[in-house]
Amino acid sequence: MALANALRRGISTESPQTRLALRASITLAACVIALLIPQFLGDYAMSVAVTVVTYAILGLGLNVVVGYAGLLDLGYAAFFAIGAYTSALLELHFSLSFWEALPIAIVAAAVAGCIIGYPTLRLRSDYLAIVTLGFGEIVRITVTNLNVTGGPNGLYGIPPAGVFGHSIVSTNGLYYLGLFFMVLAIAFTGLLSRSRLGRAWRSLREDETASEAVGVPAIKVKLMAYVMGAIVGAIAGMLFAARFGTIDPTSFTYNTSVMILIVVIVGGMGSIPGMLLGAIIVIALPELLRSVSNYRMLFFALALVALMLVRPEGLLPPRRTRRGAYRAQPPPDEAPSSPAPAGRRRPGRGELLLQVTDVSHRFGGVRAVDGVSFDVHAGEIVSVIGPNGAGKTTVFNCITGLVTPRSGDVRLGGTRSLRGVKPHKVVRLGLARTFQGIRLFDGLDAVENCLVGLIAHQSRMLSLGGLLSRTTREDRARAMYWLDFVGLADRGHLLASELSYGERRRLEIARALMSEPQLLLLDEPAAGTNPTEKRELMSLVKQVRDTGVAVVLIEHDMGLVMELSDRVIVLDQGRIIAAGEPQQVRDDPRVIDAYLGREEDDDPDAGKSVEEVLGWRS
Amino acid sequence: MTAFLQYLVNGLTVGSFLALIALGYTMIYGIIRLINFAHGDVFMVGSFVGYAVVSTVVAQHWPIALIIIVAMLAGMAATGVLGIVIEGVAYQPLLNKPRLAILISALGVSLALEEGARIQFGAGFSSYPGILPTTGFSIGGAHASYAQLGVFVLSLLMMLALYLFVQRTPTGTAMRALAMDRDAARLMGINVERTIMLTFLLGSVLAGAAGVMQGLYYIQINFIMGFAIGLRAFTAAVLGGIGNLPGAMVAGFLIGLIQSFSDGYISSNWSDAVIFGVLIAVLIFKPTGIFGERVVERV
Amino acid sequence: MNHSPSKITAIAVLAGAALVASACSSSGSGGGGGGGDAIVIGVPVPTSGDYASAGTDILHGAQLAAKKINSSGGINGKKIQIVAQDDACSAQTAAQAAEKLISQNIVAAAGGYCSTASAPELETFHRQGIPYVMAASTNPELTDQGFPEAFRTIGRDDEQGPFVAKFITGYLKAKRVAVGNDNSTYSKGLADSTVAALQKDGAQVVFNSALTPGQSDYSSYLTKVGQSHPDVFYYTGYFSEMGLLLKQAKQQGLNFTMMGGDANNDPTLIKTAGSAADGVLIDTAPLAQFLSSAKDYVQAYQSAYHTAPGPYSSYEYDAVGVLAEAIKNAGSTEGSKIDAALHAIKTYHGITGDFHFDSKGDRQPVAYIIITVKNGQFVADKQLNPNTGQWESVG
Repeated sequence: MALANALRRGISTESPQTRLALRASITLAACVIALLIPQFLGDYAMSVAVTVVTYAILGLGLNVVVGYAGLLDLGYAAFFAIGAYTSALLELHFSLSFWEALPIAIVAAAVAGCIIGYPTLRLRSDYLAIVTLGFGEIVRITVTNLNVTGGPNGLYGIPPAGVFGHSIVSTNGLYYLGLFFMVLAIAFTGLLSRSRLGRAWRSLREDETASEAVGVPAIKVKLMAYVMGAIVGAIAGMLFAARFGTIDPTSFTYNTSVMILIVVIVGGMGSIPGMLLGAIIVIALPELLRSVSNYRMLFFALALVALMLVRPEGLLPPRRTRRGAYRAQPPPDEAPSSPAPAGRRRPGRGELLLQVTDVSHRFGGVRAVDGVSFDVHAGEIVSVIGPNGAGKTTVFNCITGLVTPRSGDVRLGGTRSLRGVKPHKVVRLGLARTFQGIRLFDGLDAVENCLVGLIAHQSRMLSLGGLLSRTTREDRARAMYWLDFVGLADRGHLLASELSYGERRRLEIARALMSEPQLLLLDEPAAGTNPTEKRELMSLVKQVRDTGVAVVLIEHDMGLVMELSDRVIVLDQGRIIAAGEPQQVRDDPRVIDAYLGREEDDDPDAGKSVEEVLGWRS
Repeated sequence: MTAFLQYLVNGLTVGSFLALIALGYTMIYGIIRLINFAHGDVFMVGSFVGYAVVSTVVAQHWPIALIIIVAMLAGMAATGVLGIVIEGVAYQPLLNKPRLAILISALGVSLALEEGARIQFGAGFSSYPGILPTTGFSIGGAHASYAQLGVFVLSLLMMLALYLFVQRTPTGTAMRALAMDRDAARLMGINVERTIMLTFLLGSVLAGAAGVMQGLYYIQINFIMGFAIGLRAFTAAVLGGIGNLPGAMVAGFLIGLIQSFSDGYISSNWSDAVIFGVLIAVLIFKPTGIFGERVVERV
Repeated sequence: MNHSPSKITAIAVLAGAALVASACSSSGSGGGGGGGDAIVIGVPVPTSGDYASAGTDILHGAQLAAKKINSSGGINGKKIQIVAQDDACSAQTAAQAAEKLISQNIVAAAGGYCSTASAPELETFHRQGIPYVMAASTNPELTDQGFPEAFRTIGRDDEQGPFVAKFITGYLKAKRVAVGNDNSTYSKGLADSTVAALQKDGAQVVFNSALTPGQSDYSSYLTKVGQSHPDVFYYTGYFSEMGLLLKQAKQQGLNFTMMGGDANNDPTLIKTAGSAADGVLIDTAPLAQFLSSAKDYVQAYQSAYHTAPGPYSSYEYDAVGVLAEAIKNAGSTEGSKIDAALHAIKTYHGITGDFHFDSKGDRQPVAYIIITVKNGQFVADKQLNPNTGQWESVG
């Protein structure tokens, strides 16, 4: 016991270099073993190994969808099928070689990924499960019923892959071919997970609404997950067709999809080594159990349940989700000495930034917002106050695109209408916000939370070249700059969930500032903080204003509001009942009425998302 | 017109089974947000228990009604216990763990039940003794058998009983409260574990009843019979707005009718594609199913 | 760090152990199977999944054949040993099952059920030059590929269709025929060849469409068949669906003649359909139960496994038997010599009748008969007299 503890302590104080060396040596050992096993194993074991490699590739592909982006997919075998059938048809009817068919099959799968992905984008995860399952079945039924795909017979006589004029037919040859593609898939998905796109996926997985509100184009990013996953799946399909020379619909059933999903979950969602281990277990375990042939699937099933009970996160969950996981300490050269990054044009003081005109919105029969109009000018702090249920947050939602108002208009800079503009585009136009109930990406560290906020600037990069680009030094410097700005310079490496309440509030502001907004909307930034924290926050708001960003905030503490604001807007029952300078508003009898005429109560659920209210997070 | 009526009769029969099974999916989902992949296999186990009972007592020359009642009670009791055991062993410990873990656990349970049944009863078909009358009557030229009528009426009665239980009893209220907010329900003094268990009991009992009815009506059963029907019932549960009891009932019948009309007017080999196509089309326009409430997210 | 190397090591060791163990089992079980004294024949069949019962039945046929041969002295003094591997009716598992069998030192293979699985098995055996006599895989593609290792003791799907068409048009004198299948390789193939032959014989195919197997309720499918007003409905799928079709057709008062392909001679059909099964016509390669040459076999099967033999076990019995004779004639266990010896057999007196293999490895001649159900029993009904071209009663 004591020894074990001592060991653990010893390990935990190990330097990052040692850990890196350990990882490298394990990786190296794995590579050597992978390359050499054909020397030691017979044909039978090697044919199992080829299947393992195929499922590892499939696992890596599905991992992009399920592990990175958090989208449950029960029909992944459809992409496996599309890769196999596309390449087989091209090889049979157009006499293309394996390598010539490869890019076309990839394109076909990518297109299929878009088609399958598109209708599912609005769906929440459990609905997603059945829709993807349905698509998988539709693809299988279609290839079963069409003549061009050979119907239930499938396609025969698919030529093997050739390398330098040699056909790859031997089991060892197939193994090395599979290994080649597996390494490609590892590199590809590894790059994806470190790319900006990977970060966007993680933020979506953590909190979709918050991601959109800080500028992540959710629909595009989700679609990308399907497309990337489809591409990897198609490669596995091509290998499968080249290996057997014959394919038919029974190889691409719902059960296949489930097996691939099991690879991902057993291995550990989001982890690349996990996929390899998952594939070994899912394929090799039933083979090992051949000696108890009648009971083998029963044992496999029970082992699956037992494994989930013992290790619900899978065998090798990715580092970040493990408790107290190893995380990068901020290297010294990233200290927040960097200058303020050059951002978008700063509007001149007093310039008209936001024009809200006669905005109304209702939920069912309730008029939440009723004919609200106001302007915001550069360099001012505007407070929106009012009793609970006055419609303050709904006004924010109407401005930032989370809700499209029934009537009225919101214009940016007095010209560009924001009506019907998606939340992530609103951010891009220079309008950032925070939430009443803090919505951070709890599973990401503070720096990464900020870096998600940067995506608003990088939207163009999401589509092509910048897709796979890794985080640059400038990006990190910028994140560190804003973390320092809000006083969290030394907290960058902590998970958002590990920060204190006040720190979380400030991190949310830093994340919003990453998009370099012209206007920042803060929804009760000081709610739930103690008086000291409240003071600090308010001085932070002033600092923000001093950088040239206009601030609109919802706040209850009248004292603070009066001290801080350039102008105050008072809402009651969806209408503006008073507006003007703090002094003016304070003395307005209607305001006093609104506040004293009704009891102040605190809705305990205010600010919670629906999922939180239901006690379930997807 | 005759053909249309015939498709209607056929669809309602199929729908009776689907609705009963869909209720289990929807109840369990509502309460712990789990797609219980093992539910179709619970239906299968119920069918085999009923088979064991009917084959044993058929020699006793009991009245048919008595045989049916005894077999259904036995099937329901067995699946009820099975449901509780599955929940306790494979799901309960995973309730607060990453949600896909419990899903994989459910897949494991599903496979284990199928393989267990295969080892116990063999891979071939088992046949219920044919005790139901094969006679029937005619409505507007369409044939309906008394057995079909029985299936339809019996399933409606069970659904009604469930609905009243959930709406009118304190336990039912506890279940509904739990479905809305588990933590709040716990704070209100509801025994969460017991209520979850009860939900599994009820859902499984309905599946067991459907299993016995399936065996009595279609005669042949085997260890994977739960898969195809489970998939369609699950589709019905989602179509109706998963978590919504009346939605699952209506959608169960609806899927039965879609299958029937698609078999008749399109082609049976496209039926599943049609069913999933309808589902996807509905979800595109109404992302929470036909009867699902619109979710307004508060931020 | 909690990303503890001990855990990684443990997992790596576990995974490594799994690989090593599978490697060992591949080399080790060879000893258990082969040795030097026995001639090992591999049987790849589905023993798990949907078709496990058919696979088990075929395996029983192989075991009975080995027992018979061994009790009469074996082959040139050596005993036959049967090793089976589960192919689960899946292409992927089948390739592994075949490799596993090869690692168990088999000299030849006899078995197979689903053509889907037999194709990669044949491919794998072909690469190693191991003869494969298939007992139940009827897909024409299998022997059409021209592998010298491919043989089968069962007829091809494209031979059954013309026979059925001749019966429907010649004996039943049907003008309007509906044809149904279940969209499996076998069923679709049989349906296609039947439809072509029916049209050639001058019948009108008024319905030709697949159903979704496993659906239980085919009432609406039948209603649609009924709308086409056929004289005969010929279903090429399996007994499980046919039983339901018969029962539900009767329930709807549909009164066209129901006929099924050779996957329908299973007692489950009668149990499911009850009285509705009476009079159904089924074409089949002669079942062991109806062959005088197979009387002993049926008895032996019954006493060994306490159930009647299924439709294909007798073909597996002959597959093992013909292999034994070829190995004996070749005086060698070398694949190419066994292939040659199989082709060289002029007439093999099997329990399923006398036959030889043509140049592709297909069985010749193939005989079919028509059976029917009377009083809840399958009974032989009609056969075609090859000399007169007339349909006559079997009996």
